[in-house]
Amino acid sequence: MRAASDVGGTFTDLVYYPVDPETGRPGAVQVAKADTTPPEFEQGVMNAMAKAGLSPAALDFFAHGSTVVINALTERKGVKTALITTAGFRDVIEIARGNRPDLFNFNFRKPRPFVDRYLRAELAERSNFRGDLVKPVDLAPLPALLDFFRAEGVEAIAVAFLHAYVNPENERRTVEAIRAAWPGVAVLASHEVSREWREYERTNTTVLSAYVSPIARRYIERLEQRLADGGFGQKPYMMQSNGGIATAAAAKANPITMVESGPASGIYAAAHVGRAIGEPNLIVLDIGGTTAKCTLIEGGQIKVSTDYYIERDGKSPGYPVQTPVSEIVEIGNGGGSIAWVDAGGKLHVGPQSAGARPGPAAYGRGGTRPTTTDANLLLGRIDPASFVGGEVEPDWQAVDAAFAPLCDQLGLSRAELARGVIRIANANMTTALRLVSTNKGYDPRDFALMAFGGGGAMHAVALAEELKVPRVIIPVNSSVFSAWGMLLTDLRRDYIRTRLTPLAPGSIDAVRAIFAEIEAEALRDFAGEAGDRAPLFEYRADLRYAGQEHTVGIAFPLDGDAPVDAAIAAFHEAHEKRFTYRLDAAVQLVNFHLVATLPVDKPDLAERAVTGLTLADAVKGTRRVDFDTHGVHDATIYDGLRLEPGMALSGPAVIQEPAVTLPLPPGARAEVDRLGNYHVHLPQPEGARP
Amino acid sequence: MSTDPFTQEIIKDALVALGDEMFNAMIRTSMSPIIYETTDFAVGATDARGNLLAQGNGVTGFLATLDTAVQSTLEHWPLDRIRPGDIFVTNSPYEGGGTHLSDVVILYPVFVDGRLIAWTVNKAHWTEVGGTYPGSATTASTDIFQEGLHLRFLKLFDEGRMNEALVELIRTNVRLPDSTIGDMHAGVAACRVGGRRIVELAAKYGVDDLLAAMDSLLDYGERMTREELKKLPKGVFTAEDVVEEDGHGNGPFVIKVKVTITDDRMIADFTGTSGQAPGPINLSYAGLITGVRCTFKAVTNTEIPANGGCFRALEVICPEGTILSAKSPAPVSIYYESLLGAIEVMWKALAPLMPHKLPVGHQRTVGATFISGLLPGTEDLFVMGEPLVGGWGAGIDHDGDAGQFCAANGETFNIPIELAESRYGFEIDQYALHDEDGGAGEYRGGKGVVLDYRVTAKEAFLTYSATRTTSRPWGLAGGGEGSTNRAEILRRDGSVETYSMVTGARAVEGEIFRLVSATGGGYGDPMKRDRSRLLADLRDGYVTSEQARRDYGFDPAA
Repeated sequence: MRAASDVGGTFTDLVYYPVDPETGRPGAVQVAKADTTPPEFEQGVMNAMAKAGLSPAALDFFAHGSTVVINALTERKGVKTALITTAGFRDVIEIARGNRPDLFNFNFRKPRPFVDRYLRAELAERSNFRGDLVKPVDLAPLPALLDFFRAEGVEAIAVAFLHAYVNPENERRTVEAIRAAWPGVAVLASHEVSREWREYERTNTTVLSAYVSPIARRYIERLEQRLADGGFGQKPYMMQSNGGIATAAAAKANPITMVESGPASGIYAAAHVGRAIGEPNLIVLDIGGTTAKCTLIEGGQIKVSTDYYIERDGKSPGYPVQTPVSEIVEIGNGGGSIAWVDAGGKLHVGPQSAGARPGPAAYGRGGTRPTTTDANLLLGRIDPASFVGGEVEPDWQAVDAAFAPLCDQLGLSRAELARGVIRIANANMTTALRLVSTNKGYDPRDFALMAFGGGGAMHAVALAEELKVPRVIIPVNSSVFSAWGMLLTDLRRDYIRTRLTPLAPGSIDAVRAIFAEIEAEALRDFAGEAGDRAPLFEYRADLRYAGQEHTVGIAFPLDGDAPVDAAIAAFHEAHEKRFTYRLDAAVQLVNFHLVATLPVDKPDLAERAVTGLTLADAVKGTRRVDFDTHGVHDATIYDGLRLEPGMALSGPAVIQEPAVTLPLPPGARAEVDRLGNYHVHLPQPEGARP
Repeated sequence: MSTDPFTQEIIKDALVALGDEMFNAMIRTSMSPIIYETTDFAVGATDARGNLLAQGNGVTGFLATLDTAVQSTLEHWPLDRIRPGDIFVTNSPYEGGGTHLSDVVILYPVFVDGRLIAWTVNKAHWTEVGGTYPGSATTASTDIFQEGLHLRFLKLFDEGRMNEALVELIRTNVRLPDSTIGDMHAGVAACRVGGRRIVELAAKYGVDDLLAAMDSLLDYGERMTREELKKLPKGVFTAEDVVEEDGHGNGPFVIKVKVTITDDRMIADFTGTSGQAPGPINLSYAGLITGVRCTFKAVTNTEIPANGGCFRALEVICPEGTILSAKSPAPVSIYYESLLGAIEVMWKALAPLMPHKLPVGHQRTVGATFISGLLPGTEDLFVMGEPLVGGWGAGIDHDGDAGQFCAANGETFNIPIELAESRYGFEIDQYALHDEDGGAGEYRGGKGVVLDYRVTAKEAFLTYSATRTTSRPWGLAGGGEGSTNRAEILRRDGSVETYSMVTGARAVEGEIFRLVSATGGGYGDPMKRDRSRLLADLRDGYVTSEQARRDYGFDPAA
């Protein structure tokens, strides 16, 4: 049995399936849900297993993703943390970058650093940008410093020195001395967290990782213990933000890598399914209750970078987290997003959300403001008879009461307003989708839109029309995609190193030498994690024109006749695609990026059974559905659980599963593939590209 | 015209999003740290007549520079001579879009079916535009001709063909031609990104619906602003402040404002301000409008994206020829210090009435620092240009922020030390909050910083300018004044020289350029400061024992 659990804000999802020991074939995917149980999150996991009648002893593989890191950060529930910096620089995390995104707000307040000033100490030491050790660290003040930290109740220490990304020697000596003098304290050096330049970003990331480190460690250890007590014979794997899993030991050593694990596994699953069905180019959309997240997958590869922030928005600079994270654009638009009208008479949807409590007005739990879900219900897109999987009878009175004030204010009927809410929600999501596609030089017509999450299927077709994406894919298991995705991932580490290297045909030796150094480190890190197998390496690099700052990431294969020439050519092309021009200028390699993966044995994707049902067997009836610009139609309602591979149907229709609703306007045609994914083909306007 | 109200909304949102798209394109393509880290630029779109539709801003200080640049272009070029594929360039300080020569505007007329329907515009601080001093920054100029290449509403592209002669002229007259030409390409790219989106919108919704949405967007900005204006206290409010000097030892120069707020209007009248200065601290009238718009926006609605409609209720009065309305050929290189003076004097007039919107006085200087020299090893010229963070004023319910860029900056980033050391001929010995006196109050002023550049090149040159070098950030309600800004050179022989404005001060290897920024003003009586906060201040080193005793009447030893 293979299982994965994803701890969310409200529910803990458990996804599991058996594997036939004879054939190696996977059985049907099953799902169990339990309430999330803070602060003992592992209890929710065990509850979900108990609910499913699943014993840890029956598991061969268990992967786990949790919001424990991001929650500890956003709720400020980490431990008291101290910071040691190079002399002269303890205020770097307070000054931060000095920026004020809320430009015209002269009453702006910058985010407060995670370490108060009295717990920020300095040691005399210095390296320079070339990596020369200019001044060995003077550890004489350390004992007194540690006594002070101890007396102040410090539980974690971050050490961040200038240029440690290129020469970590002084940091290494310092953390060794701390570990020797105070074995109980959690201590992290910046080079253990990031090997990229930019001292504020690296220091802050180290601080955040140290701040959550004891919390994450205790949590993972409790989970390991509970699983072991239940008879689990393996070690659990932890989902990371880079789309891979890590051993529990690795996750405990640098927990910040788990900061965005939920979205990352969904994106990874999208790439994996895409590769399996011959759709390597995907625009990916995950619509939840409060937010929508999107990304772009090109050539079957997820994009991983270290340009990630928490709590950043148009008003706040947030906090940078320089750790490998699957690139995501997230906006405050989900099923629970609230519609409202401002003083100038403009209708907005989100970012405020009704969340799980009280939830949309139709839940009848006290929601008094109209949400996107209420609008979908009013327009007949959501089946009132199976609202929230049939568990909730829509509270129409509450819906009426929620819509009435806005209808009066705008002079619109309820249906008109509902249509407007959907249209504005869709426009918001289109803007986000554009940020990952057209704004980066991609033509959406070269992609399929893969949508999942609770609201993904509901909005996908309308968004595809807007973006001119010709096909939509709603993958199997789309409502538990993140948890399911963890069962598809491999062990993965991203090594990113800033080592400024001019690129010319002769520089291949230097490039190889640095990659070889990193490979050696990767081999050490992976040793013993999955038998004696060697990891697979993928070589990438961030390049720039000499003089520019921002870089473009490209693949840098080391085989071939002229790898440097090829990389430069790829860079010119990528730069032009992204920024509309290329320069006749020297090219520099800024960051070496080695992706090391160790594949986990796993079965192929399960195929959807063909039992001989006909399409007619899947028809549940008809319903009036408002398809906005496509008009109001009697739509055929299909039970998605009875659709089988090879079946095809056309709109106006709605495909329904307990947690998936896929409206198909007239002209749209859906097919079911061998895995059970829905492929929706949109009618293409005349003159469209073949 | 579409019958459905939401299509209009969606087009409007798309127009606003365009500002962000162009902003990202610019930041990712530029070759100059002053653009991609300091984000000393703005991008945006106007309608065909030059009414601002949307703007993506790196700094507040460009708020009135895009729309007025289009308006002036239309005065220089009759409509029949503006054709598809044309791109214009201007950096003229005294007309629309004007600030100083380093800030270059690129204007891109957007045509659909041969009809001019909009403009996309970019204004950015180019690294180098020639002139007497490296980085084209100087406190020493006495007229515009010393400050660099003056490009006055020229065609950079003519029906799609690049004006090779003009580009070659620029290339030949600047010190870092690759960087400057790179900045030019980035600006053109940003304009094209925006232009492409407008053409797409026209194709999708039709030109008529698009133009109607533009008008409706402007009206919306006006409505939202007027709603806020209604809530403000009405009356006439005045304030006065100084700009200490002009780089030539002249000054102080007085800045005066009389702000009149009625139910539907705000008038800022700067009559009584000193005449234009011989040195380069002069601001043009176009720049003054930016300053007034900033403070107006801060007290009306900071939430909605700025557009031309937001400013219909605003009037700016200033006689010609003052340091806030300078005429050609007045030098303007460090205009931003007077711009800040204009922003803050209006803020000072209004702060007592709107303490929840406006804190007290901040460092009020860009603290622009340019260090140039030859890189050790390669002997290539380097020019580093960077503003300096400082202390912001306290508010009615909070301490001021420490180490933030001034009000004329915004989404401005300091250059990471690790990057700067790899690029320039210096090492940085400290970047820290200082503990100089100032800013005491029930709520404290934010701390200023001290930043030490130790020269590693054989020699290096410092150009620096600041105000609030003798005057101090103001406090309110019993809060104390802040501290002052300055630059120092720490010589090998142990002597220290102090500067408020200087051009090309030389230091040799091992000597230190030290920059010190002001701590902001305090709010409320220091005696009323919560003692637990004060104890935390002492523990954190934000208040010294001596300051606690003297300013707060608190003896830490007791």
